[in-house]
Amino acid sequence: MSLPKTAGYIAIAALILVLPMILGNYLMSIVILALFYGYLALSWNIIGGIAGQLSLGHAAYFGIGAYCSTALLVHFGISPWLGMIAGAALSGVAALVIGLPCFRLRGPYYALATLAAAVILEVLVQNAHVTLGGPRGLNVPLLRDAPLFFQHTGKLFYYVIIVIFVAAALAINHWVISSRFGYYLTAIKNDQEAAAALGVNAQKYKLKAAVLSGVMTGIGGTFYAQYVLYISPHEALGSALSVQIAVLCIIGGRGTVWGPLLGALLLLPAEEIGRWATGGMPGAAMMLYGALVMVVIRFLPGGLVDLPRLLMRSRTTGESGRAV
Amino acid sequence: MSNTLLQALLDGIAIGAVYGLIALGLSLQFGVMKIINFAHGAFMMIAMYVALWATQYLNLHLMLVMPFVVVILFVIGFGTQRVLIEPIMRREIAREPISVLIFSAGLWIFLDNLLLVIAGPDYQAPEGDWAYQVIFIGDLVFTYPQVAGLVTSVLVTLGLVVFIRSTRLGRAIRATGQDREAASVMGIDSSTVFQISFAIGLGVLGVAGVLMLGIMPVDPFIGDFYGLLAFVIVVLGGLGSIGGALIGGILVGIIESVGGQLMPVAYAHALIFALFLGVLYFRPSGLFGLEDS
Repeated sequence: MSLPKTAGYIAIAALILVLPMILGNYLMSIVILALFYGYLALSWNIIGGIAGQLSLGHAAYFGIGAYCSTALLVHFGISPWLGMIAGAALSGVAALVIGLPCFRLRGPYYALATLAAAVILEVLVQNAHVTLGGPRGLNVPLLRDAPLFFQHTGKLFYYVIIVIFVAAALAINHWVISSRFGYYLTAIKNDQEAAAALGVNAQKYKLKAAVLSGVMTGIGGTFYAQYVLYISPHEALGSALSVQIAVLCIIGGRGTVWGPLLGALLLLPAEEIGRWATGGMPGAAMMLYGALVMVVIRFLPGGLVDLPRLLMRSRTTGESGRAV
Repeated sequence: MSNTLLQALLDGIAIGAVYGLIALGLSLQFGVMKIINFAHGAFMMIAMYVALWATQYLNLHLMLVMPFVVVILFVIGFGTQRVLIEPIMRREIAREPISVLIFSAGLWIFLDNLLLVIAGPDYQAPEGDWAYQVIFIGDLVFTYPQVAGLVTSVLVTLGLVVFIRSTRLGRAIRATGQDREAASVMGIDSSTVFQISFAIGLGVLGVAGVLMLGIMPVDPFIGDFYGLLAFVIVVLGGLGSIGGALIGGILVGIIESVGGQLMPVAYAHALIFALFLGVLYFRPSGLFGLEDS
């Protein structure tokens, strides 16, 4: 590894270690939330960024993970750590079930189909009153300090876990991108017919990517349930969440390793700052959020990862600086 | 057929016609410009608020403010396409205009919350009794807004079909939708066509918004569900097919209304989305679609 890169990684590691020591509870909660959404965006990136399939129904996998571990805890007393594995497996299966028919569709049709699939799941869960709490959702039983049951009263516990998750997600993304698998996915993203003509089994690889992405997202769902201690169909399975995950990844730079994380690290704190700056006026912060999304996509279509490149280009003489 | 089911069927047709009108604008945009516009529902919500304020400040009957609302929405549509969307579209290299999609998602969030700030979270409806007046046909009851909705939707749809089929501009729109490059080789400026298509789409949404306001109260987030429903209807009815949008809307309205009699309404909605998936899978060009996917 080159020197600047090594230095960069050391700096990041130092920051991660120092942060919980200097930030108070409120700021830590923002950091955890930003990292959490970064993790979700990184999970989405596998299928939405690298493979280029615009899935707008990822809340389905999230919700399955969250509901699975929570239901197992509430009804059978099973630790959410085990429930997380079950939830992740179930999410993977769901990704397969949803992917099989949906991947025959292209572009916007695929996006709408995944959106519809998630909505159907949301409606079904909303009507499962006995087992899944219906529209009122499920409360995770308050166990206070119970690390073996994925719960703690302090933020540090969750911080450590989410940092590990994010690191794993970054590693997975890096591994996929630099592997032959990722190469095939990129080929499929750029021109599926051409890739197929060269012998790449598009359906098989898209499904693989979808399952990996679904499993990762499902794990995120369990984390959320154990962090917030409450899940409901609207939050955990709603289309708003699906769109948000996709937006974060694309704003940051889809298809890249760091992009999805950057998107979350920018937009989540921005939303919080907006809320603070507008004095909690309902809607004002989200207005700024929407405007920010529009501005970023207008001027940085490749996402935030393009920013350094764009800044450097404007300094070079002779460059027209036009974004391609 | 029992009376309740018959009533539900006709109720479904009435509201379905308005749903179709909402979808019509989207069908035009989707069909001509090939973009997914997530802000469509939000624009409908805006149309409803404009209609509401028009009745309040101009002191006019709801149906009378329609021309006013249509003009305002038309102008908004024209401006939005020209100023906001076009620069992004121009930069994107055909195939999947994902930037426009994300931009429209941001716009959707922005508009929803803009109206939350301006109008507050409460449901609001126009004053007066008009929305509750009914006529009786035998044992069946119909509210004035239902009748107005059905009649207006059908008329507007017919008008638009005639426009698209017979006028030069209509043909230009169709041509651009079928093959943008070929159309521009024939001298059709796709940029202008896009602006006009988008504007017409929002103008029609203006009509739909007025009709919707007669049927239900408005709040800043009402567009979320109906925007999504519009996509379902567009796919059901067929991309780019204007008559298809109306028929798709009526179909959805019937499923919702009759289904709501036979099962919890939420399940009826799930059924609609399941049907949507089925059509996407087996007949992606929709019931009356003009083109291959």
